[in-house]
Amino acid sequence: MTDKDMIICRCEEVTYGELVETANEYGCNARELKLRTRAGMGYCGGRTCRNMVDAVACTVTERDSKQVTLKYQPPVRPVHFGDLGAIGHD
Amino acid sequence: MADLIIIGSGPAGLSAGITAAECGLSVLILDEYLKPGGRLLGQLYEEPGGKWWNGIEETRKLEKRAAALDLDIRLGTAVSNIEKEDGLWHVYTDRETFTAPSLLLATGAAESPVAIPGWTLPGVMSVGAAQVMTNVHRVKPGSRGVIIGVSVLSSAIAMELNIAGIDVAAIALPKMNEVNKDGANPAGVMDSLLHVSHMAPSKFVQFGSKLMQNDFMKKLGITFYPKGGVKMWGIPVMLRKAVIEICGTEQVEGVILATVTTNGQVVPGSEQRIDADFVCIAGGLYPLAELIGLTGCPFHHIDELGGYVPLHNEQMETPVDGLYVAGNITGIEGAKVAMSQGVAAALSIARNFGRQGLDDILREAVEYVGETRRKAHIQFHPEVAEGRRKMQQYWEEYEAAQERIAPEEPVVEKEVLQGV
Repeated sequence: MTDKDMIICRCEEVTYGELVETANEYGCNARELKLRTRAGMGYCGGRTCRNMVDAVACTVTERDSKQVTLKYQPPVRPVHFGDLGAIGHD
Repeated sequence: MADLIIIGSGPAGLSAGITAAECGLSVLILDEYLKPGGRLLGQLYEEPGGKWWNGIEETRKLEKRAAALDLDIRLGTAVSNIEKEDGLWHVYTDRETFTAPSLLLATGAAESPVAIPGWTLPGVMSVGAAQVMTNVHRVKPGSRGVIIGVSVLSSAIAMELNIAGIDVAAIALPKMNEVNKDGANPAGVMDSLLHVSHMAPSKFVQFGSKLMQNDFMKKLGITFYPKGGVKMWGIPVMLRKAVIEICGTEQVEGVILATVTTNGQVVPGSEQRIDADFVCIAGGLYPLAELIGLTGCPFHHIDELGGYVPLHNEQMETPVDGLYVAGNITGIEGAKVAMSQGVAAALSIARNFGRQGLDDILREAVEYVGETRRKAHIQFHPEVAEGRRKMQQYWEEYEAAQERIAPEEPVVEKEVLQGV
């Protein structure tokens, strides 16, 4: 297997090749790279691939050292739909 | 309702909980794992002087003190969100929602993966996972493993696997690509290892001290680094070989190693396959900021501390009212530093709660954090003290800016109101 076909984001099945090509084509930062490829947008919320997506983006853009490059969103752990619906009703 | 909720029952969180309870605060500790202790549980290494640091025993000591104080520790309780409303923190878990006026985030660190073809195969795990399986659950991760990533952490865990009777075939670098840049550079990796030589395996020190006199010698050092590696506890540590692929159809069956140049480029034709039934990836640790990232607390990226770190001062206060941090969320360091930070954080919280007479002991606790750092046997980054200095500087800049802003605050509010 080559680097090109290697999966980086397992949830959304985004490959290294796709990330590097997108980064080079658009010169994009981590957030834009995420939005263009869906890397980090799966059910794990980017917990696994976050730093790898970040690293690829940093090869074409300057790191924003004052702001986390890929924003954290709640819930940061999987929540059952039943529990989510129950919030505020318990 | 508790006075203080602590998220994370590792060395920082437990120490903070004990100290806060001793100051008379009611404390609730939450942790998603099944046991208290966090990453302290996995630690087992010999300190200079021959004394062993056993994380399980250290955890037991903390647990005993916590039990004597009747600390409320809820395990297996994952926090999915935190919000602040009317001066109270709301902590949402998979069980119930807890509230408290003060919140201490001691969520520790997470491991970075490395990008190598085959890294998603079953049998590939982070080096920390292998440590937990072996030292905490007493389950062998496999019979013969390869560790990818050469660092103080990976060599310490290799030794722990070795003690447990697990064959580690090699510790080697990851292949060079856009993701693995730092960890795949032989000269850079050797440089960072030699900076921590007081902790590094003695073979490195012997080898390194002869070669590391100056930059020219350093270059020679990595140029002439034995291709077969330097053996440490019988495990070859390979700084001139990289894993270029993890092989297997259904699960890990082996890896392909190749010789690399001093800047990490594969030498064609040097590939060789070695058999293994598990692979550990050691991409380094970074502060786990997912919860504090929801609070609006400012961040700074500081390489020496392992990545994005929430803005905080030496008293472990953040700019967000009622929000405190301790342990690896503030930067990657050892468990002893984390414990001392936990104590300092708890004293700050108690003082801000109005407990009298804590100023001197808080000052001493802050000094003790620095002292613990200076005496640490393990430094995850050679320039950690410089990283701390940068954070302190960012804090001072922040405070100075706040003072400039302060008198104008009502004006800003009025403008907003007029706009409405």
